[in-house]
Amino acid sequence: MLSPERLALPDYEYLAQRHVLTYMEDAVCQLLENKEDISQYGIARFFTEYFNSVCQGTHILFREFSFIQATPHNRASFLRAFWRCFRTVGKNGDLLTMKEYHCLLQLLCPDFPLELTQKAARIVLMDDAMDCLMSFSDFLFAFQIQFYYSEFLDSVAAIYQDLLSGKNPNTVIVPTSSSGQHRQRQVLGEASMEGVEASLFYQCLENLCDRHKYSCPPPALVKEVLSNVQRLTFYGFLVALSKHHGINQALGALPDKGDLMHGPSLDEELERLLVPRSPGLIQLGHASPEASWPAFPDPSRLAPLEALHHIPENDGSTEETDD
Amino acid sequence: MIPGKYRSVSGRATNNVNCGLHLVIQTSSLPEKNKVEFKLNKDTPSFPGRLLQHDLERNYSSRQGDHINLVSSSMPSFPILQRSSEEKILYSDRLTLERQKLTVCPIIDGEEHLRLLNFQHNFITRIQNISNLQRLIFLDLYDNQIEEISGLSTLRSLRVLLLGKNRIKKISNLENLKSLDVLDLHGNQITKIENVNHLCDLRVLNLARNLLSHVDNLNGLDSLTELNLRHNQITFVRDVDNLPCLQRLFLSFNNISSFDNVSCLADSTSLSDITFDGNPIAQESWYKHTILQNMMQLRQLDMKRITEEERRMASILAKKEEEKKRENQKQSLLKEKKRLTINNVARKWDLQQRVANIVTAQDRKDSDSPSQDPCQIDGSHISASPEETGSLDSGLTSALQGLSVIDSHLVELDGDTLSLYGSGALESLDRNWSAQTAGMVTTVSFTFIEFDEIVQVLPKLKIKFPNSLHLKFRETNLVMLQQFNALAQLRRIDQLTIDPQGNPVVNFTLWKYYVLFRLSHFSMQKINGTEVTQNDMIMAERLFGILAHVASSELPQYRLISILGDARKKQFRYLLETKGKKPGIVNEENNDSKRLIGENTNRATLNYTTRDFYNERLEEIKEKKKFCKMYIEDLVKEATEINMKNEALQKLWPQMFIELVRDAVIEIRNKNSYMKLCLQQITDQK
Repeated sequence: MLSPERLALPDYEYLAQRHVLTYMEDAVCQLLENKEDISQYGIARFFTEYFNSVCQGTHILFREFSFIQATPHNRASFLRAFWRCFRTVGKNGDLLTMKEYHCLLQLLCPDFPLELTQKAARIVLMDDAMDCLMSFSDFLFAFQIQFYYSEFLDSVAAIYQDLLSGKNPNTVIVPTSSSGQHRQRQVLGEASMEGVEASLFYQCLENLCDRHKYSCPPPALVKEVLSNVQRLTFYGFLVALSKHHGINQALGALPDKGDLMHGPSLDEELERLLVPRSPGLIQLGHASPEASWPAFPDPSRLAPLEALHHIPENDGSTEETDD
Repeated sequence: MIPGKYRSVSGRATNNVNCGLHLVIQTSSLPEKNKVEFKLNKDTPSFPGRLLQHDLERNYSSRQGDHINLVSSSMPSFPILQRSSEEKILYSDRLTLERQKLTVCPIIDGEEHLRLLNFQHNFITRIQNISNLQRLIFLDLYDNQIEEISGLSTLRSLRVLLLGKNRIKKISNLENLKSLDVLDLHGNQITKIENVNHLCDLRVLNLARNLLSHVDNLNGLDSLTELNLRHNQITFVRDVDNLPCLQRLFLSFNNISSFDNVSCLADSTSLSDITFDGNPIAQESWYKHTILQNMMQLRQLDMKRITEEERRMASILAKKEEEKKRENQKQSLLKEKKRLTINNVARKWDLQQRVANIVTAQDRKDSDSPSQDPCQIDGSHISASPEETGSLDSGLTSALQGLSVIDSHLVELDGDTLSLYGSGALESLDRNWSAQTAGMVTTVSFTFIEFDEIVQVLPKLKIKFPNSLHLKFRETNLVMLQQFNALAQLRRIDQLTIDPQGNPVVNFTLWKYYVLFRLSHFSMQKINGTEVTQNDMIMAERLFGILAHVASSELPQYRLISILGDARKKQFRYLLETKGKKPGIVNEENNDSKRLIGENTNRATLNYTTRDFYNERLEEIKEKKKFCKMYIEDLVKEATEINMKNEALQKLWPQMFIELVRDAVIEIRNKNSYMKLCLQQITDQK
């Protein structure tokens, strides 16, 4: 609790980094909105439930977009919720259009903006034929990158444009050791060839990551992505990002691609729902504890309380009547 | 001696007459010779009796052959007829020259007081050589080859003129025959009724088997009683109401197809007998009662007496026809009006959509985007460049306003279907519908109305039309699956029809399954006309079941309640309580009821609020958010201050503690002075 690194940060910064204030504000706001109902069963309970749901990642369900976008944890939870709710769609093998995916997103968040979905679709379709059908997994991973790192991607796009047009953004950066070296390496705009040179691109990205405090993919992984190719286009880069399982794991919201459709706990739940409705056939079993549902994001990125909680499925609460 | 060519051929049974030596007498012939019988004889005294065509067509025999001498005259073509004087005296006023193979009319000498002349069954082509017979009353030229009526101008006393079965093409040259009583022109080629207007004594006019196509020009025939027009090609009949005495009119086997074409008959007060058989009009279902209704004076129709019963039926049926016609007219008027209104509504909707599209396109594109296409709106002929889009909007809105002057919405209740066109129609749900009519409505159809607007009136729909089971949506801008959530609040839906036109949501692969999933408690039977199978239901559950599960069981309590509102509070309180009481133990009974409740509520949190409402709500929350932010900031400030103070205290405390201890030790070093000090302090306290 009293580790030196935590005490090193001034108060506000510490709170901000953990987004604690966001949640506090939101909690109080929710309290205000529903005070008649909540006062029935107590404020302490409300706060317990609220923060429980934050830990479990269910706090973003049916909330407005501004809240969902507010913190990385929210974004990751939203991605996870989307995956869980519509995994069966993917399993069914349906290929859907961008608009339909957007509809599904809107089921969970009524005012989700179309631009984000469009951008995600562009990644999948390589900016081509926007009416094409996409598979669930393709869309999901592209959407993950786009949504979670949306500010990062915007900056990357700007950098890419600059590089394409020949300007080297390195020239205006606060000098670090790496950029100082590369100031002499003026690569002229090679607009004739497609894309930009990978290594130069990487330099700029590295600076970007250092400079900004919003979430970026781990630079090491980005380097890995870029090391395989000489030149790459913007969308090529994004597609590579989305398919890179390391980044996916770093994000921690979604399982690996192979496991995307796999989730026996939820499957069992589903089976129960599909059982013909006769009261005598209610299954009372609990979900098997070895549910292979991957653990939620890195405990280090979350409030420490999370680590103390069970994954919900393993509670007795798999019965749909509870909770 | 009669020249051979005038000898007739014997062989006709009853009707042969011959001149010369061969004499054939009628069947009932008497052995006595020289007995002649004129059928006509009987009728002669009361000449203007009933002369029916039938009688005239039948030949009467006469027996005059013996006494007729046809001698060739000086003129090569005209034979001269001479009779013996006994004949002349016996039959001084009648002369029969039937079947004499005459090709021309012979010159008849010395018979100036002849009154009846019979030329039947000859080959006469022209009426000639009879001008001198100025006392002629009866002239029979039936069955000849006469092509033109002529040579009659001196026969001023003529009363009966029989010209049937000839080749006459035109009625003419009858000017002087003012006493004509019977005119028989049947079996000719007459195409037009003309030149008969002066025949004011004419009682019978026979124009059957001619080529008449219409009947008019009958004025002046003031005595006409019988008019026979059978077997012509008549389509029109006019002027009959100008015949004051007409009693019998035979129009069988013509081409009359509608009563309007013979409407003058209704105005004739004298008509009592009429035939229409063989006309197209007689095949119509309304024939009899229309005729009867329009010609109340009739006594016989198609040779059958008209009974009172028939008349009554006719008037009833005619009234029904009238009403039906009026109804049809009204219906077609209404239909036309409806069509116009619907067109109007459609146009308005179209314009609205275009405006909306332009607006959203503008929102998306930033103002610095250079490549905006000029927009062309066909309906109002406005072409705009990006700078003018402001004026484009105003142009369109003024076009919109112009349209709304005419009817801008339509409400139609048709038995079991209520159709609403245009958003103005939604207000009609406020009307006072009678319980009976409202109860009969099972289908409600919405067209050209925004779905978001419909959502707002769904509660009203639920109350006012409780039996509505089938909803149809066309051109209602259904774009999101979420919008279907709004339909869950209705009592029941059996069938749902979402027309692809104007509803983009239909293009989604999963929309049907989502509908089945969200509205599963309705157990819908048909979507867009196709039956819902068990497989569909299972698929829907499979696809979206997890969503429901997440939506119900993973939401925190307070969220559930705030979303669901009062109605569900009780249910959930119940759930809460049971959960609290029996945390891991499952009671069979409870599970049942929970399951039942769960089925309905587990997707109840999937709601739809229209975009506007949503934004409104977000606006409202902004205030609260601001307050919360400030409040938290204050708290944080306090907390950090306290924390700082705490930290500061932590830092300073060792020092402070040492000082405290030192001060205390110093104080107590001198026991006595310390004791005195304490005592002093105690006394001071008072």
